[in-house]
Amino acid sequence: MKNSSSYTGIAYLFLAPALILMGIFTFWPVGYNAYLAFNNYSIADGVATWNNFEHFKYIAHEELFHNALKNSLIYLLIVPVIQIAALLVAKLVNNKLPGMTFFRAAFYIPVITAVSIAGVVWVNVYKYDGILTWFLQMLHLIPQGSDGQVDWLGNPDFALFGVMMFTFWKGIGWFMVLYLAGLQGIPKEVEEAAILDGANVFQRFWKITVPMVKPTILLCTLMSTIAAMKVFQEVAILTKGQADTYTAMFYVYDQAFRNYNFGRAAAAGLVVTFFCMILAAIQFRFLGEKK
Amino acid sequence: MKLKKMLIVGTALFAGVHAQAADMELEFWTMNLAKFNTYFDQTIVKFNEANPGLKAKWVDMNWDQIQPKLIASIAAGNPPALVNFNVPWVHEFAAQGNILPLDQFLGANKAIYSTNAVKDVQVKGQMYAFPWYNSTQIIAYNKDIFAKAGIKNAPKTFDEFIVMGKQIKAKTGLAAFAPKMSDMIGFFYYAGLPVITDGKAVFNSPKHVAFIQKFADLYKAGVMPKDVFKMAFEQEIAAYNSGKIAMMTTAAQGLKRTETDAKAIYDKTEVAPFPLDAGKLNLGSWMMDFVIPKGTKDPAAAAKLGIFLTSDEQQLAFSKATESTMPSTKKANLDPYFQSGANSADVVDRARSVAAKSMDNARTLTLTPGTLPDETVMTKKLQDEIQNAVEGRKSVKEALDTAAAAWNEKLKK
Repeated sequence: MKNSSSYTGIAYLFLAPALILMGIFTFWPVGYNAYLAFNNYSIADGVATWNNFEHFKYIAHEELFHNALKNSLIYLLIVPVIQIAALLVAKLVNNKLPGMTFFRAAFYIPVITAVSIAGVVWVNVYKYDGILTWFLQMLHLIPQGSDGQVDWLGNPDFALFGVMMFTFWKGIGWFMVLYLAGLQGIPKEVEEAAILDGANVFQRFWKITVPMVKPTILLCTLMSTIAAMKVFQEVAILTKGQADTYTAMFYVYDQAFRNYNFGRAAAAGLVVTFFCMILAAIQFRFLGEKK
Repeated sequence: MKLKKMLIVGTALFAGVHAQAADMELEFWTMNLAKFNTYFDQTIVKFNEANPGLKAKWVDMNWDQIQPKLIASIAAGNPPALVNFNVPWVHEFAAQGNILPLDQFLGANKAIYSTNAVKDVQVKGQMYAFPWYNSTQIIAYNKDIFAKAGIKNAPKTFDEFIVMGKQIKAKTGLAAFAPKMSDMIGFFYYAGLPVITDGKAVFNSPKHVAFIQKFADLYKAGVMPKDVFKMAFEQEIAAYNSGKIAMMTTAAQGLKRTETDAKAIYDKTEVAPFPLDAGKLNLGSWMMDFVIPKGTKDPAAAAKLGIFLTSDEQQLAFSKATESTMPSTKKANLDPYFQSGANSADVVDRARSVAAKSMDNARTLTLTPGTLPDETVMTKKLQDEIQNAVEGRKSVKEALDTAAAAWNEKLKK
């Protein structure tokens, strides 16, 4: 008869491969990164020299890093937009009409498209003589001809919002699937009872659907927030950081792989992590289950 | 027990014999030269024959993999013997101490390289790379568009270049050119304007303002495409190939792309040397070289391979294999091969002879290494401000003043 301790042993045995992989590729790099942030690292010698808070003091005075952080924080504006839109879309595809599978697939395809490929296509959409300009000129919202042509990703006033639109298009399917799973957990009787009591669509949505998927909302908002703070790929492909779309992680990447200053990059990375942790704490406070 | 002893002795003998027979392997990395495998295979055979005990091994990879892979291999303690670098990287890595100075290995061999080639790879008076193939920019222009705009010949000076650009836009409505605005520091050198003097940024002088103002005027008139700051050489070639711009500045190699991708435009293409400005230096000369990374097992042997690969003979053979690059050695450049295509019907041949004639003024234009304490950030600041000025969001003087102030603050520290 097996006792509980041997079950524990077997459990750890099953966990071991995943834990080892995570240890090598996740936990150790995170720990070493935190260590590097307080060192000057020389690549040729492989030597790390302790330098207290030198890197943090440097980036505290670095105007470009402040700007980059500001852009990353502005990027957070996409979070409520994408969450509400994803929840609405999930509600819409969560019925048994024929053809729903097509819509679910159609919304999800951008998620599985490689970022680089999607990025190249969107660069052409945003070109000054690209699809967006053509569309707006067709609707006569901007002047015709070459006067009306706008370099959408070249103007610092709205290039960042252009990149945010790309993230919206790419991410909505991902959160739609998660919300769909959450919605499946709401029993139909609750909705039907509300209809019998005379609640309209609006009231049913805000008073029944939203509270009952609160755990999913917390999860999705958290993931979306962290992704927004860490934005790098979209910026690298669409604008290469020009036109005031330089984000905090782009600064980290530049310092690490163009200046080869791993210590400073690690310090900047820690600052971003710190912001993420604060935002996560706020979200757990407001969206979490009150125990 | 007897069997065990036999096995031990046998293994030791085998290992000893094997160790003696193994040649020293010299691995050398190149970037984006995979299709010249015939040339490299022949070169390796030649080198191995001339150097018993040494075995050259060729590895080619995409240009954006070279630096990360090299850094990783240096950190792991097994870097290759030679790595194909460009000039800015030589300065970067020399400043970090990741590549070796080569004067001790070169000795008298230093004299075979052209003066400018040597200057390109010198850091604090020492050579840090073996100069290899070179190329310089020429203008390839669309004869039809020129004819429509009423222009007979290619521009000879930079000012003519600008005037013609405006004429092309006015008469044909097409953008005239898309210069590489992502390297404004190179442009300053081309115009003979200094960037840093006595440790202070000086690019906000009236002359600099006037120079950038030319670009601002061109942008406003639509002579350059609206997204010119985003265009790297890929996009410039694509725009030229689709007939959207009248001229492209390219090395002769770029024309081979037009030959395969847009035959119709290729047939209408003519070439001319890129006009010189006050700096009397070619814009966009790009020299490739070989460096020896720090920590390589046998630097002297690596140097032998480097000297071999960049000798007159080998560089001439390589130029003939690529049909579009130039050697960086004095003797090889004078070979009649380069001028033989001057009157050929094939545009690439003509391009080669035009480029060869321009090689005297070829210097890779970059900022002196180690001048900037935080290169990425400072270069970005300058580029962003110039972009704001050229695209009309700020006055040129204001933009250059802001950038100079930011640079001086960093340079003070």
